[in-house]
Amino acid sequence: MTVITPTMIGQVVISGLLAGSLYAMVALGLGLIFGVMRVLNVAHGPILMLGAYVTFWLFSTVGLNPYLSLLVSMPLLFALGVLLQRTLVRRVVDAPELSSLLLTFGLSIAIVNLAQLGFTSDLRAVEFMTGSFVLGPFAFSKSRVIACLFAVAITTGAFLFLQKTRVGKAIRAVSQSREVAQVCGIDVQSIHMLAFGLASALAAAGGSLVAVMVAIQPEMGAIYTFKSFLVIVLGGAGNYPGALLGGLLLGLVEQLASLFLTTQVNEAVAYILLVVVLLVRPTGILGGRAS
Amino acid sequence: MTRWLSPPALFLPVGVVLVLLALYPMIATGYGLRVMLQLFMWIALAQSWNVISGLTGYVSFGHVAFFGTGAYTGAILMTRLDLSWLSASLAGGVAAAVLALAIGWPCLRLKGPYFAIAMLGLNEVLRVAASYFEGLTGGGLGLSLPTLHASEPLYYAMGAVAVAVTALTFAIVTSRFGLRLMTIREDEVAAEAMGIDTFRYKLYAFVLSAVGPGIVGSLAARDQGYIEPISVFPLITTITMIVMVLFGGKGTIWGPVLGATVLFSFQEMVWAHFIYLHQLLFGAIIVAVVLAMPRGILGVLQQKYNLPRTL
Repeated sequence: MTVITPTMIGQVVISGLLAGSLYAMVALGLGLIFGVMRVLNVAHGPILMLGAYVTFWLFSTVGLNPYLSLLVSMPLLFALGVLLQRTLVRRVVDAPELSSLLLTFGLSIAIVNLAQLGFTSDLRAVEFMTGSFVLGPFAFSKSRVIACLFAVAITTGAFLFLQKTRVGKAIRAVSQSREVAQVCGIDVQSIHMLAFGLASALAAAGGSLVAVMVAIQPEMGAIYTFKSFLVIVLGGAGNYPGALLGGLLLGLVEQLASLFLTTQVNEAVAYILLVVVLLVRPTGILGGRAS
Repeated sequence: MTRWLSPPALFLPVGVVLVLLALYPMIATGYGLRVMLQLFMWIALAQSWNVISGLTGYVSFGHVAFFGTGAYTGAILMTRLDLSWLSASLAGGVAAAVLALAIGWPCLRLKGPYFAIAMLGLNEVLRVAASYFEGLTGGGLGLSLPTLHASEPLYYAMGAVAVAVTALTFAIVTSRFGLRLMTIREDEVAAEAMGIDTFRYKLYAFVLSAVGPGIVGSLAARDQGYIEPISVFPLITTITMIVMVLFGGKGTIWGPVLGATVLFSFQEMVWAHFIYLHQLLFGAIIVAVVLAMPRGILGVLQQKYNLPRTL
């Protein structure tokens, strides 16, 4: 058993927050879809995967800076999200969770299969930035720090949008009560499409940012779907600040688990955390909707 | 007018089919036998999912967890303790039931989407655990079982499980217990108000729904001769059983049998020709079933022709 020093704990806490900020951003998208439409979107991870491929292809063909590719991947997948909502997902809005889970699972395997056909299953990497920042006793991988900064900026932007703009207020109104929002003259159908588009753009941003850090392959998305589910349940489904808290918490717990146990079990630890939270507070830490 | 569909009237045709299936190994090729064995497996899995999710409405989105648990329990007992495959598979069923009790006790208090997510998580965690405890499970390398000499005994065993789970569903649907479960599905608060101990009956149904997949998992491990974490805990297996039930008719007795038979035949006949596209096709089938016929074939027929609920 190795001795665990305060420096190690500090390092782990910071790494956890770096990873958590990405989880929070991606899960905010999933939470938005659930909050506005009561749809559990299993295809969220595969959309993230598409975002990573956009970055990879732009980098490997025209040498575009991976961080600039956010400007392409986010609008592109926003459009795909709007299209998916408009054509398919709108039909399971408000249906029992089984319908939305199955429909989006069907979409999910179709997207992954198309990616395998189009991009092959080869592992791809964007070799853009290596090395670390060193600060006193701590060292942080550059790509993770920059990804965290982007995630914080994008998440803040999304929050300001939800909080301050008229459209953002309309989105929150629809997630509080669709009927009342409709009576107030809000075009609920457009809000649904917009929310799905925004959520897909957030997933795409996640994909573009992780493209620099991990191997890119068609099945990389599933783990992010799973983590995003954990995050929105931890924070309270339909509760947007809760998604942030849940994301940071998940990042921290995973890193602490890998320090005290091993990296292989961090999913299991996160799951146990989830079950405990659900038992103590069935609607999540910050409270969400019962169903 | 629907008397010819009532349970006693169905005994004869069902009996004839069972006798034919029992005689089938006499003329079957090795391939044919294994195809039928897999069909029995899917019937048992779909029917088991139907017991918890079709009858109570609680979506078990990680039901393959019980299949995998049975597979690992059986394989470990067969390789490490040299147990016969028959007793090992019964042990697999028991292990799955124990897991269902342990997981159902906290998780069945959760409502709607939360239960679905908790079950999805359970499956992910078991897969990780199976790779992690290498000493017992062989980790990512998996476990190899000794060579299998004859498929006939497995054919009968798998068939017996499929029949038993269907008979169990019949017994449940036609009992007060089944009525309680369906009351929970329609309105849990009202069920509670009527004096039904909803949590207890949900837990019974959940444990019953885990036994079949546990036994089947162990038999499938014996049949395949090799298991690894990815092969026995795939999310797609859960989805396949759900789609089979949905296609045939959720909450009915014969719906899962019908759905499993149709979809499995389709898979055997069509997908083999589209190796690179079969996930895409399956995705399209799922979307089509969810959008076009969420009540399933029997659900639609029951509504249209006022057929008995016990079909």
